Amino acid sequence: MRDEDILTGAVLEESCLTLEELASACSVSTEWVVRHVEEGVLSGPGTTVTEWRFSSRDLWRVRHIHALERDFDAEPELAALVADLLEELETLRARLRRAGLA
Amino acid sequence: MDFKDYYSTLGVARDAAAGDIKKAFRRLARKYHPDVSKEKNAEARMKEVNEAYTVLSDPEKRAAYDQLGQGYQPGQDFRPPPDWDTGFEFSERGYSPGEAADFSDFFTELFGRAGRGGARGPERGFHARGGDHHAKVLLDLDDAFRGATRQITLRVPRLDDRGHIVVDTRTLNVQIPNGVREGQMIRLAGQGAPGMGEGKPGDLLLEVHFRPHSRFRVDGRDLYMTLRVAPWEAALGAVIPVSLPDGGEIKMRIPEGAQSGRRLRVRGKGIPSDPPGDLLLDIQVVVPPASSARARELYETMARDLAFDPRAEE
Repeated sequence: MRDEDILTGAVLEESCLTLEELASACSVSTEWVVRHVEEGVLSGPGTTVTEWRFSSRDLWRVRHIHALERDFDAEPELAALVADLLEELETLRARLRRAGLA
Repeated sequence: MDFKDYYSTLGVARDAAAGDIKKAFRRLARKYHPDVSKEKNAEARMKEVNEAYTVLSDPEKRAAYDQLGQGYQPGQDFRPPPDWDTGFEFSERGYSPGEAADFSDFFTELFGRAGRGGARGPERGFHARGGDHHAKVLLDLDDAFRGATRQITLRVPRLDDRGHIVVDTRTLNVQIPNGVREGQMIRLAGQGAPGMGEGKPGDLLLEVHFRPHSRFRVDGRDLYMTLRVAPWEAALGAVIPVSLPDGGEIKMRIPEGAQSGRRLRVRGKGIPSDPPGDLLLDIQVVVPPASSARARELYETMARDLAFDPRAEE
């Protein structure tokens, strides 16, 4: 394998995605994201929309909330509740793994 | 290419009403939800269910599929006649190009053009950025220490000369930097779906996951392991060599009087990053078996001379 064939990626650190990048990464419109931040379903860090920065955790949440709304016609608040529970489930599973129980 | 029976995938009759199809889809979407399901191959089954519902929930696609599928059996070799879709206009159900790329060749051959401006193909002068693709990459813990190169295979739809969608398999060699953590995303700019017109291509987003390790467990940047010690090592204290995932070794001092369940922290010996994680060692005292006359004698001497009651403080 030649060195020039190898692609090097950038690790997404905390709070690094702009509104446009987040929307594009999740195949949703920026309006969708803004609406969900305004409704409190997503947290909007930063004061103005242009200052908003999102983390890879937000990206995970948007993908899940969008799929739940699409597949079950879920209200945004209900989809957010399910996403909260899935996050909690993932945290507890991580604790089980850490304890060597999973 | 095998013919796919979308009705049997959703478990509905061919004349099922739209409401019943939706109900069947939701039941299966819950059953095979990749984060929750305990079913085998839940993720693969969910993709099949999504694909079937994408076709059967859209009246145009369903009508075209019904017309085309007459006389075909599931698994039977299938070729759509040329221009079979004349007169149909397919719409999307909100799947990202990355998700739709997971659908079968059968689907892509029939409906792949829908996302590209309908059956007529993209309009002249229309530009749009390509969609982002998502993929998971499974790493060994050692990779987080040393970095690694991984081959990632993607299914990428593209338009051929006749304006039909074909799915190419693309293999990328990706350098994974050291210090990555479970759940982190790695972005490869420009490696997603191609753009339309002069639009830029999308990005490829890789989600990092680790294979379970036989000795170490990972939580964020920290590593956990169980350190098994002999009763005399715990009682008297000891220095024990511990090998690390990067191939290095540390000498670990076990304090005198250590008990099972005690946790020792070694700063900076977890996953390398800024700041690096810690290594946490959970001490577990392992009792040797009394399997020889000499071993029995030693235990009996201890029982007699130590006057030890492990339940005294209860």
